[in-house]
Amino acid sequence: MYELELLKKDWRKDDSRYPKLTYNEIYKMILKKSSSIVKWIFIISILEFVLWTGLSFALKDADFNKKFESYHAESIMIPFMALGYIILAYFFYKFFMNYRTISVTDNAKRLMENILKTRRTVKHYVAFNLIYLAASAFLVLGIQFNRDDQMIATINKATANGELFKFYALTILITFAALAIMIGIILLFYYLIYGILLKRLNRNYRELRKLES
Amino acid sequence: MNKELEHSFVELLEKHQNIVHKVCRLYTNNQDAHNDLFQEITIQLWKAYPKFRGDSKFSTWMYRVGLNTAITLYRKSKRTITTQEFDAVQFKIKSEVYDDTEEQQLKQLYNAVYQLNDIEKALVFLYLEDKNYSEISETLGITEVNARVKMNRVKTKLKTILNP
Repeated sequence: MYELELLKKDWRKDDSRYPKLTYNEIYKMILKKSSSIVKWIFIISILEFVLWTGLSFALKDADFNKKFESYHAESIMIPFMALGYIILAYFFYKFFMNYRTISVTDNAKRLMENILKTRRTVKHYVAFNLIYLAASAFLVLGIQFNRDDQMIATINKATANGELFKFYALTILITFAALAIMIGIILLFYYLIYGILLKRLNRNYRELRKLES
Repeated sequence: MNKELEHSFVELLEKHQNIVHKVCRLYTNNQDAHNDLFQEITIQLWKAYPKFRGDSKFSTWMYRVGLNTAITLYRKSKRTITTQEFDAVQFKIKSEVYDDTEEQQLKQLYNAVYQLNDIEKALVFLYLEDKNYSEISETLGITEVNARVKMNRVKTKLKTILNP
């Protein structure tokens, strides 16, 4: 293509058109902080780990939890919580191992794959938390149906009035709706953050993948 | 990081800084964005420098880090450049002997290149820098055959942009 040769000639011809940065100007630059997407993904991921872990600890001190202790459901809740911590440790380990493999000196496709892999680990962690949240909510509800004095009294009242099915259906439905709204908001939040952050990377990765297919 | 390492890095970058400027020229369309990307590439180069073992040329290593930063790590989204905006781009095209026709052609060519997507620009950049298909495929992580196929498609696309 003649035009590209013309462009190449011009491209390689004159280097004086570029600004010439001095030693000191370059030196100042290496002292500055990066604003790359990898750094942002790292910060957001750490915040996610802190948020979810912090949330589980914060809930431990809440009044509700003190009341919950009176149900004597430790045999169910302790293994359930232990499982949560084991899975958290697994995700934390996997996240750091993935993060360490990200290298700007890899080829473009591998670099993009490693970033997306790290991002995927955090995505799975969030999905796990949402599932865990929903499972906890229904588990707690189940325990309350059987062991909470106030709840048992209400169930008995509903049975006497012939409205037991209505009571169960309504309680489960309200719990389900509250969870759906909460999960929806969280997912929308993630979708927006990562959608904006990874827009360019996803577009370029798709382009490279398209070439190989 | 020790002072000696800092010194050798800054000296090398000072010498080869045009490579970074060229990447910035292709991926940004105003002075602020150019400076911003230049800085990010410099930081990425510096972060990776301790692992630079010198088994490849510093300049070759810079191409990879520079392009990776521009197409993968750089956070700011690009704006589509228009013909009107092109005139405002800092780096005006120079010609040894003033040739209105050639200058006009170059202007249209650069304008066409700006309309390509990030990966296509990377191919054009490496082509303009006289890199062979083996180096292009290694930098982008695609096969050599696919690099050739894609380059041909880019040429066709440029022709279509130039002669709609």
